[in-house]
Parts: sequence; structure tokens; C-alpha cells
Amino acid sequence: MATQLPVIDYEKIKKVHDAPLEEFYTSGHRTCQGCESAMVMRDFAKAAGPRTVVTGATGCMYVANTSYLTTPWIVPWMHTQLGAGGSSAVGMAAGLRALMRKGRIPKEKINVINFSGDLGAGDMGIGGISGALQTDYDLLVIMYDNESAANTDIQATGSTTYGAQTTFTPPGSKHRIMQRRWKKNVAAMLAVGHPTCRYVATASATFPALDFMNKTRKALSIGGPTFIHTFDPCPKGWDFHPRYAHELGELGVKSGIFPLYEIIDGQVVYTYDARQKGRIPVREYLEKQGRFAHLIDEDVDYIQSMVDTMWNEWDIPGVAPFKAGLSVAG
Amino acid sequence: MIKRVEVNYRGIFQKTLGKYIGGDIVQIASRMGKVAFSNGRYSDSPERNGIPCKYFAFVSPDLSEEELEAECGAKLDIDEADVSVVVDDTMVKGVEPWGWHGVRAINEKLREKGCLLVTSQHSHDQLLTFIPKQPFSWRLATVEGPASLAGLWVYKDDLTRERVLGALAAVDPGIISIEAVESYLLEKTKDKHRAEAARASYDATLRNMRVVKAGEGAEWHHEIPRLPTWKEFESGGVVVPAVPRGFTMGPRGQSRNERFLRGTTKSHRPVVRFDLCIKCTLCWYDCPDECFDPTDDGLYDVNYEVCVGCHKCAEVCPVPECIVMVDELKFDNNDSPWEHHKRDPQGYIKWAEEKKGLERIHYPHVTGTGMEIREGKFVPPKPDKGGPAAGAKA
Repeated sequence: MATQLPVIDYEKIKKVHDAPLEEFYTSGHRTCQGCESAMVMRDFAKAAGPRTVVTGATGCMYVANTSYLTTPWIVPWMHTQLGAGGSSAVGMAAGLRALMRKGRIPKEKINVINFSGDLGAGDMGIGGISGALQTDYDLLVIMYDNESAANTDIQATGSTTYGAQTTFTPPGSKHRIMQRRWKKNVAAMLAVGHPTCRYVATASATFPALDFMNKTRKALSIGGPTFIHTFDPCPKGWDFHPRYAHELGELGVKSGIFPLYEIIDGQVVYTYDARQKGRIPVREYLEKQGRFAHLIDEDVDYIQSMVDTMWNEWDIPGVAPFKAGLSVAG
Repeated sequence: MIKRVEVNYRGIFQKTLGKYIGGDIVQIASRMGKVAFSNGRYSDSPERNGIPCKYFAFVSPDLSEEELEAECGAKLDIDEADVSVVVDDTMVKGVEPWGWHGVRAINEKLREKGCLLVTSQHSHDQLLTFIPKQPFSWRLATVEGPASLAGLWVYKDDLTRERVLGALAAVDPGIISIEAVESYLLEKTKDKHRAEAARASYDATLRNMRVVKAGEGAEWHHEIPRLPTWKEFESGGVVVPAVPRGFTMGPRGQSRNERFLRGTTKSHRPVVRFDLCIKCTLCWYDCPDECFDPTDDGLYDVNYEVCVGCHKCAEVCPVPECIVMVDELKFDNNDSPWEHHKRDPQGYIKWAEEKKGLERIHYPHVTGTGMEIREGKFVPPKPDKGGPAAGAKA
């Protein structure tokens, strides 16, 4: 039973000139130069507007945005523990519903948004988020994925790209590749496992322009528990000059290594369909980052072959790793 | 007696450099029979790209290890420094680190007769237009060269480390001697040119060291913001008040977090030629620090107080020469460039081109793989669009 509340009438932003000008996540944060996760914060706050409460699990975006008694948030904001992203959002939504039911606050739509990092959402907090996606509360969980535990100086997580150098996976003379796990496909996993969740999407903060803002709005207007996974190039941990933060996001999408899609009521809609638009070689994406400097041709070929498989052989390319349809048992 | 050295560096970009210099001082002092100890400033971690950080080294000829560690081991910051090393000269404009609010003077911790040792391509006089005056005399020395910037996983071996060690021996032989620096480098690396670089830097520093008299230097305007103590926290668990909502069109129209502006993170700032702007919004749209203010005429003013100099706007701008990154030390204020442009469109173009010069800094994708200076060009004001610049001309 979804909450019976007036829905904020979000319009799709069609041109960058129509994007809202007012910021609800403003200047003066302690993020890195060229931080794409800060772009995610900025864009979802802007897209959601003033009637929003935000909860953030421990991670880069929590530490960088509230340390030492200052904050860049204009909307109300609360910190929660590393694995508690989903539960905190449920608690907040339930609290607001109770207050409205008791008449303590006016009945209106207040957006509840949680953001958790790839460690907080994809690894540690996935149970809580799974629980949140089974509720009937209106809430949005955003997983900002910079492919590492970036706050504590870049440790590998389940979302780190194969082969990348991190503090946990330094390349050595005996073992070149220490990150041997393939990146976890969190958005699709949550979509597959939660058939009542009406909206799951992946996005990149600034490419295609406006895409992430519109996905945020779509999630909030569809209502119920929703989930967005964003792809955030991290100049610190990926080791590239902050100047190219936007370009790296674009290359990640165009090389097909990070598929962009929405799953709306069970229907997959590609935002950037690499099968039609073509893919650039993943090498062009990998060679621009210091974290892959130790890879040799063989490794790049392996990553390319995995990406090729994902797009050419999966039944739902880029989303679900099932191949060749159903087989009859026996 | 304890000699204290602090190394001011750019977070992440110079993390390894700072750590190496601190570690080398300890190694060299130990070889000289002294007791030494080095650590990073606790509150700087987790570091962010560009945010000013510090690494410390302590050297004592007479204390025991335990005594030195008791004195220097558990402090957030030091009270005074004998030598303050600055490995990126744009930090002389002041530093606003992670855990310390407000813009602090780069020579804040320097004691009387202490030395500020700056890696710079600028002259002492230019640097002194930014470094605040002190009530006592102190010394200023430079190690000539650009800031050595690298990434988290890489160390850029461009001899900055060796040259800083040589210069350090010149400014305070009581910490380490040049002979000890040379023998350490020779023994450790077997590279003769490293010891020679240290010696050359030692000689050059002895020649260029300058005594700065009491009262000489810039006026200091930055106040340290007062933060609430635990007794002043609001009820209901509100620990950190949010930024008040506020937006109007025009310069400084967006409300911002006034307690941490962090503009001192930048080594370069974007200079915008408003007359070339095609109003595509991309600089504003792609800015991770919300430093562009939309104006009524469709342009975007830059708030340099909050710009962190990430170069992203210059990269995404589709118009050549419209947004160019320029050395932060060429500027002495954070005034609104858009207001300047409205006041005097032609004068603004002249001013912007003067600041830009013809050298364009270019960094490759992977951090620490060097940088090159490319040649820029002057684009004349566009007369056909009837923009403000054209209007002023007619």
C-alpha cells in the first residue's frame, strides 16, 4: 500500500538551460578537486528540491560534507552508520508518515533520500537496502559508486574494477593482478530480487547531461522504494587529473564497462544502448587512469572480453548474466 | 633542544613527496647521531586532492627517543617551526586545511629567525606580496622550480625531494648538514646526480636566502571563524546547522557554507572571456563545487572564494580560449570577474589576456606523468554578436 500523499509534479528537464538554478547542496565541502560524487550529491539535491530530507551512510560523502561542524547541505541531513543506509531511510520515512498520521506535521510529500557509497550500499549495507526495497515507503536509495572505499584512502570493494590498484590490491612483482573479482552488478541484482520495487536505474553524474537528474525525479515521482546506482570517476583513487573527471565518466559509459539502464516496472530501458551506438575499446578508458598503469595487453584483452560477453551473450545485455535462455531440466 | 620542520604540501598530489622528505630528514639526522622523529598531521587524514596538508619532522641532538616522542608524538599541530617547507608556492596565499577552520597564514607557525623554504618560480618580492608580515624578522628562501604534483599511487621523481633536502641543509645546518645529505643520497640510491642536485640546491639557496624584516610583508585579512562549543549545540540533536536557503541571480547570489570556503585548495583559477561565451551552461553544470553564479544576461560569474581549481570547467568548455586556467599567484583578490566585465568590457578583456599570457598549462590524464606548457593564442573580441564588448567598441 503506497502512501496516499500528493505527488510533487516533477517535469522532465529537457535542456540544460531548464535545469533548476538553485542549489540545495552548496559550495564549501571537503571533497577532492573534480569530485564526481559531489556532482551526484549536487544533482540529486537540485532535482529533488527543497522538500527533501537526506540520510547518508559513512563514506567519502559523509566525511567530506559534515566534518568539523560545518556542512554544505541546505536540506536537512542525517548521518548513519556504514551499513545502515537502507534502514535509516525506512526509519525516516516511517517517522514522517507517523508524524503526518498524528497530525503533528502537515500532510505533504517529503522526499526521503539515502546515499551510501559502494562499500556502504553494495557490500555492507545491501541487506538493509534489500529490506528497504520490500517496504511500502516512499524512499530513494542512491549508491554513489567510486569503485573503492575512497574515504580511507582507496581500499578495494566489491565494486572495484578488475585489475585496479588499491591499498588492498597493490600490484607486486609476483602477482600483477591483485583485484581478481569482477565488479558487482548491484542495480540489476536489486531489481531482479525485488519484483515490487518499481524503479531501479544506473546513471553517471554528468553524462549524458541531465540524465541523472531526470532519473532522480522519475524515481521520486514513481514512488515506493527505489534505487539508483551512479558511476563516479574518482580523481584521487583512479589516479587521473581532476580535469578529466567528466571525460572518464563518458568513456566508462561509451566503452560499455558501465551500462546505463532503467528498469521501470520490470521493463529494461537502455539510456545508452551500446549495441546500437557502438562501443569504444575499453583500453581507451583504462589507459587514462593510473590505477591500471600496471596492466599488460593480456589483462586489457581479458577485461575487453568480459565486456564483450556482457553485451553480446547475456540474455539481457549489461543487466543479467543469463545466457542462451531457459534450458529444460533433465 | 628540538628542531621542528613542517612540510606544507597539496593533499594526495604531494602526499608521497611530503612523507619522503619527512622520512629522509629523520634518516639523515639519525646518521648524524641525532634523535629524530616524523609524523603527519593527524587531522589531515583522509586527504583530499589539493587540500593543504602538513608533514612534520623533529630532530634533537640531546633528547632520548622517548623524550622526543613524548614531546612531539601526540599533537595535532606544532606550536612553532624552525623551518616551514612549502612544496607548492600557491599555498603562500594562505591555507585552509581539513581540520582547521579559516584561512591560516603560511608562516603562522614560523618562529623568529626561522625560515620559510618555498618551491617556486616566482621572486622573493612577488611571494612577499602574499605572505603576511610578522612582528619579528624571519628568512625566506626558494628552491627554483614548478610544484611537483603526482598521484596517490605514484611518486614523481623529478629531484624535488633531493633539492629540498639540500636547501634545508642550507637554511638550517642545525637540522641536517649538506655532507650528511650527500652521503645519505649516495649510499641509499647510488645515484651521483641526486647528491649533486642536493648540493647545487644548497649552493643556490645560500645565495638567494633573504632576511625579511619585522613588519615586512602583506596585510592579513582572514579571520578564524568561531565554531560552537559543545555547550552551544542546539537541542534535538542538531549538531551542525544547515546552510540557510537562499538564491538570487547574479554574483554571490547562492547561499554557501561560509565556515569552510576552501578556495585555498587551488593552484590555478579559471579566467573567463565572457565575450566569447556561447552560454552553453556546461561550466556551471559540470562544476562539482557550485562556484558558478548564473547572471541575468545568461553568463556565469565565478566565485573564486569557493573555486578549488579542478580545471573541469576549462576542459568541458567547448569554446577555445574562453575558459583558461591561470597560475593562482597572478591574482591578489577574489573579486567577481563578471562585475568587472559589466563595468568595463574592453578593460576586462585586456585584463584577462594579461593574466592569461600565452602559456597554457596542460596536464595529461594520468597524474604525475608530467605537464607541458602549450602555446595559447589571443582571440579578438567577437564584433558580430552585438555582445557587451562589441557595444563598448561602437
